[in-house]
This record gives sequence, structure tokens and C-alpha cells, in this order.
Amino acid sequence: MNDSVIVSDSVKRFKWIGTRPIRPDGVPKVTGRALYGADLKLPGMIYGKVLRSPHAHARILKIDTSKAEALKGVKAVVTAQDLPEQKFEYIGPERVAVNFWHVTRNILAREKALYEGHAIAAVAAVSASIAEEAAALIEVEYEVLPHVIDVDEAMAPDAPLLFEDMVPRGMDGAKPSNIAKRLEFKMGDIDAGFAQADVVIEKEFKTAAVHQAYIEPHACVAKMEADGQGEIWSSSQGHFQMRALTAQILGAKIGDLRVTPAEIGGGFGGKTVTYLEPVAALLSRKAGLPVRLQMTREEVFKASGPTSGSSMWAKVGVTKDGKIVAGDVILKFQAGAFPGSPVMNACLCAFSPYDIPNARAVGYDVVSNRPKAAAYRAPGSPIGHFAVESVIDMCAKAIGMDPLDLRIKNVAGIGTPTIAGPKHAHAGFRETLEALRNHPGYTAKLGPNQGRGVACGYWFNGGGESSATFQLNADGTVLVATGSPDIGGSRASMALMAAETLGVDYDQVRAIVADTGSVGYTHVTGGSRVTFATGAAVVTATRSAIKELCKRAAMIWDVDPEGVVWEDGHAKPAGSNVGDFKPLSVKELAAKAAATGGPITTSAGVNAGAQAPGFSAQFCDLEVDPETGHVTILRYVVAQDVGKAIHPSYVEGQMQGGVVQGIGWALNEEYIYNSKGLLDNAGFLDYRCPVASDVPMIDTILVEVPNPAHPYGVKGVGEANICPPMAAIACAIEQATGKRMTELPMSPPRVLAALSEG
Amino acid sequence: MSDAPARVVFTAGFSDRYTQGVREFEVTAKNLRGVLRAMDEMFPGLATHLEEETTVAINGELHETGYFQSVPPGAEVFFIPKIEGG
Repeated sequence: MNDSVIVSDSVKRFKWIGTRPIRPDGVPKVTGRALYGADLKLPGMIYGKVLRSPHAHARILKIDTSKAEALKGVKAVVTAQDLPEQKFEYIGPERVAVNFWHVTRNILAREKALYEGHAIAAVAAVSASIAEEAAALIEVEYEVLPHVIDVDEAMAPDAPLLFEDMVPRGMDGAKPSNIAKRLEFKMGDIDAGFAQADVVIEKEFKTAAVHQAYIEPHACVAKMEADGQGEIWSSSQGHFQMRALTAQILGAKIGDLRVTPAEIGGGFGGKTVTYLEPVAALLSRKAGLPVRLQMTREEVFKASGPTSGSSMWAKVGVTKDGKIVAGDVILKFQAGAFPGSPVMNACLCAFSPYDIPNARAVGYDVVSNRPKAAAYRAPGSPIGHFAVESVIDMCAKAIGMDPLDLRIKNVAGIGTPTIAGPKHAHAGFRETLEALRNHPGYTAKLGPNQGRGVACGYWFNGGGESSATFQLNADGTVLVATGSPDIGGSRASMALMAAETLGVDYDQVRAIVADTGSVGYTHVTGGSRVTFATGAAVVTATRSAIKELCKRAAMIWDVDPEGVVWEDGHAKPAGSNVGDFKPLSVKELAAKAAATGGPITTSAGVNAGAQAPGFSAQFCDLEVDPETGHVTILRYVVAQDVGKAIHPSYVEGQMQGGVVQGIGWALNEEYIYNSKGLLDNAGFLDYRCPVASDVPMIDTILVEVPNPAHPYGVKGVGEANICPPMAAIACAIEQATGKRMTELPMSPPRVLAALSEG
Repeated sequence: MSDAPARVVFTAGFSDRYTQGVREFEVTAKNLRGVLRAMDEMFPGLATHLEEETTVAINGELHETGYFQSVPPGAEVFFIPKIEGG
């Protein structure tokens, strides 16, 4: 059952917005004809292969490529020595804290191999098999070093250091350490807050590193010319981002590179960073031929970013009548081999759904011998929420209050301060909680070994820079081009917004994703920003086109442009004093484009702000098998404030997808390392993602509280939904068994072990 | 009320690094460019740090730190670390 709950009188009725047309990219995808990153083949193209470290931690003493270069069919061999050195400085957003000294070392190792799978060198040859053979001929002399995998062990004073001279930022007087950074956010008086509490509960938690598990491995083709210009075709969440990163790593000009987005088979944050593009471009530059480079599934697991695992402590104080008076967390996040975990996000999100007057969040960004962590759907927030939401549930039980009622009593609203500093500016949390509370399943009776768990999740959502162009074709059809790779159905959403704005039928609008040379700069498809920010660009470009169409109509009628208005897809006289003219349709105006001034084309670039945050509340019913520890999800209900659903099916899909990924994170997924620091489960057989038979139909409640800052009320919907499942499931297991699970994944052996504790 | 200055606020970490630990300032400006100019006059080079490292919340509404953002009279202008999503 899917419910759409309209809760605001300001929700307008639309002709196209809110409908569910068939996806415009559906036919090529279901017929297998869509071109993904590994599908492109250029004339003369050769094949690349990356040689990767077999060690978790080793100094690279020598790389001898001579035998590989001598192999017949090999066209190029590259190492880090072929890339320019980068300055050591942290630039850009704090969370990613890009330091290109680190980035270039992740793309091709220099002094050390810092994790199993770390790229050491790459070759390009006339066939994939020769490239593989050549890679094996590269001789690397290693000095194997002690390694460290676990975050707590990495923080120990005697831990092997990945960077011997790295001094933690934010810790005055600290010695070199694997701690890259310490952060602290606080508000109110934490001690006074806990002193007011009748019940104080604290608990330690651990979560495993999990991969985004996109179905399509990283892949690209690069074609570099002798004059330094080049083209790249790649599967990513942002071709402008890939262009900028590749240019920086190569020491090239951004303007010399053109990047065309392939269809993308999932990203979830993991395709906002580059691994292959600079290497493929380097090989192509050296070989003088186009080069395709793609990862195997094993390489995806070993060498592309999972999200952080963590070690956490959370403490919450609550009064007998259910007022949360204080919260405190310490979050230690694995960054992987280079600094830059999403621990700051976790600090800022952990308490944000609630009005808690006294709170503190301390975060540590810690390197260890794992692949560098990459963004994963609301990066960091699900991890912190697992700890805090679990403790809130324990508080609810301790005072005998329904866990949803406790959250409703403490829910944040407009004007509630946040630990980040600013006050909340948007509504929607309370409405979402109440919608979930009113779901009939919430009061359904449970059977033996069954439990129900509740949890919430918060995510900032993104805005920022996006571009769009609008072109009116001679027959009155419209082309809308944007720079946002389509991951979640954005082409349909862009077409819906353009059709609604212009007043034409949806099937008259075609939306495409344009390359970096054909549309203005657009930030990544990530942060739940595309429908909000790129949608705003589309609406702005369409409105500009309407203004131009009114001018053209004025020219045809020989009246002032101010005398023309736009209604229902037609230019009309503004009043009877303008004249008695028959309204002109888009099609009629398109036919007169040449006579009235030439092609009707507009563009818009926006820096969209005032995005509303995402908030999701969920409950889960499950059954625990006491013999095996296996958990079966019986019912899962997700409510989310979606602002206004442009294409409700896609919104539901985002909510269901986030929940299913959260179920996998909760119950099965984990990076398993052996004593040598090598990954033991680098494949989908041993890294257990949920499949369709593992989950019930996820029931969605779309709560529509429009964002007034968007023309159609859009709020980002892609991320907040992955934040609650881990805690919701842990709480349900506790209700079913009496055992509080504090370590992820809650796999059958771990649940069984908890049950056997008595 | 129309001339009420904006209240400019930094996080503790940011103020420790760049404003000698002072977290709050009063600034009269119509837009964010004016705020950045005023802060840069007090702490030369600060505007660049704000542009590169922060997101701004104007009365709680998050925006990128762009010059064009209008600042209503009496607004709270809170600079926080930039956030990147997935």
C-alpha cells in the first residue's frame, strides 16, 4: 500500500507535476541498448589494466616496468612518476577536505601502498588479455610493513602509522598519529542538561564498512590528442567533477577536456570521486590511442570507496515525562587510507531531528589500511543515527513511553537550534512522524519472536550550481538539456517541470543529459540536489523561453510585449484593450521562429539555495529465528517529507531503495579482513547485499510539505531514507528477543551469539 | 528595524582559526558580498576562507556562500562548514 499524505494547504494542483509517466530512458535500458561506461568502443581503442598492491601496507622500494613494456602489443605503461606532484593543502568542503597530495597518491601510489588493491601502475595494450599479462610482468619491490584495519586499534599510541608525519588537525600538541582530525560541536550546557535528566543511558556501538554496491563497476574511455586536448566518456555522478579532477591530477587545463556522461548503473555517492579517468587519460596520452579502463567487481570492492566503519559512544538524558534534555556522542570513523571520512556530517546530523537544548558531538577522522572511504547516501549520517536512535529507543523503554510518541514530543521545528549552529528553517518533521504514527500497521499485533522498531533520520540535502538549456524545435517540441547525470529518473522529472511551466503536454518535451561542452557547469548528482537545483535551472530556462515567446507573439500581433501574457501553453492578449487576437500555441510560435528573430533557445545557470533538509521516520516489523539467529523483515514502513513529489514513482523508489540498502547494512553487509589485512569477501557471493526475496514490499508514505524556495515545492528525497533502518531493525530485534544489538551487521551468527548469552 | 544590523556567527572551530576566538559580529549589509567585505576589513583574508570553506545559513536557510544572497535587516548569518552529499 502506498499513501500520499497531503498535509499543507499550500500544495497546488498541477497538470503534470505529480503524475507518473513512463520513464523516457526505459526502452534502451530494458532492451540492453543503453550505453554504460564499459559499452563505448572507439576506432583504434586499446585496453588498460591496473596493477594493484597485494599488501595491506608496504613501502614501494622499486618498480621495474621494462618487461611489461617489452611485451608485444603493449602500447603504454604508467606509474605515479608520470603524474605531476600535487601541493599538500586541504581545499574545498570540510567534509571531503580535498588534498590533492592525497588524491594523486590514491590514484597511483607513490611512496607506499596503503591498502590491498591500491593502484601501483597501469598498462595499455591491444587486447585486454595482453594488458593483463603485461601488468603481471611489472616487478614491484615492496618492504612489507605492519598494518592496521580496526579504527580503535588505529587510534592506539603504538599503532603502525600510515603517514609518519601526520599530526591530527584540531588536537593541539598531539603527536603524529593515524588520527587525521578531531572535530567538536556543542550547544547548551551538557553537564547541566544531564543533571536535569531522570534517566541517562549510554552505550557503545560499532558499525562495519559497507560498500555502495552499485551494480555497474567503474569504467571509462579516454582519448587524448597530441595537442593536450582530450575527451573522456565515463560513468560517474558528475562529468564536470570528473573533468575538474582529471585536469587537476594531470596538470591539464579544464577547458582542454571534454567529458561525456555514459548511462550510470548506480553510484550512491561512490561515483563522485575519480579512480580511473586520470589513469586512462595518462595511458592514452602516452599511447596516442583511445584507452578503455574498467574495474572488475573485485577491484570495485578492494579499490573504490566503501563508506566508513565506526566505533561510537552515545549518551542521552531524558526526563520522566519524555523531554530529551541532553545528548552526547563520540564518533570515530574509518577514513580508509587517506583522511576524509564523513564524520563531520554524522556529528551535525545525529541530534538534528530533535529539540535537544544541550548537546555535544565529537568526531575523529582516522586513517587505516583500507580503501579510501567515499560518500555513500547521506554520508556519515546513517552511522551516527544508528547509535543515537538506538539510545533514544532505550530511553523510551526506560520511561515507558512509545518510541514514536517520544520523538513527536521532542521533534524539531522551525526555529529549533541545531548543533551546527543555525536554527531549523523548515517544517515537515512533525507531519512525517504523525503520518507514520497513524499508519494502521503501527498498532498491528505481533507474534512470537517478533518485534517492532522505530527510528528517524536527518539529512541536510543539497543545492548549489546547476545549468539547463531550453530549445524549441520547429514542430513545437522542446528539448531540455541539463548537466546532471540521470541516476534516479531526473530526465522524467526535468521534462515534467518544463511541461508544467510551459503548459504543454509531457510528451512534447524531451530531456537529455548533455556533455561538458554542451551545457553549463553542473555540480554532481548527489546530495539529493538534482530535482531541487537542476529543476530550478530548468524552470528558470523555461520561464525565459516563455518571455521570449511572448515577445515573438507581440511581434506577430504588432503590439507591445507587455500586452502579451502566457496561459496554458499559449500567448494571449493581456486584455481586451490589447486587441482581439486568437491565442498562439507553442507550435504556432515555433513555426514563426525564423520570421520573428531566429531560434528560440534559452539557458539558465543557478546557484540554488534554501534547500530544505530531508527527514524520514520508519518502523520495521521482523521475526528472529531463535535456532539460527536469522532475521526476517515482515513489514517495513517509511514516511518521508518529500516537499512535492514531481514523479511519485521515482520518489517511492528512492525511499524503498534507501531502506533496502539500510536493511543490507543492518543485517549482512560488511568488509571482512583476514589477519594479513586482506579483504576476504570481495564479491557479491560473499558480500551479502539484500535481494528481492530478502525484503517485503517497502510501504511508503509520501508526506508533502512544500519547500517555498522551489517553484514546485521540491525537497531532496534520495538520502534521508537510508539513515533509520539500522537502528529501527536493532530496536525491533530487541523487542523480539530482549537483546540489544550494538554492532553491525546483525548477521545470524552475531544474533545467535547474543541469544546464547542468556 | 530597517537598519538593524545582521548578526554574523561562526562555529567555534572557525573562529578559533580566523577571528581570534570571537564568534559573533554585527554587520550592516544588504547582501552577502557586503558581509564578506565587512568581515574582510576586520580580518584581512577572511572573505576568501569564508567563500572556500563555508556554507551560509541566513535565518536558518542554507545557501552556498555567494555574493548575491540578500541579507534581511536583523538576520542571523551563520557560517558553517560546507557539506557534501552522496
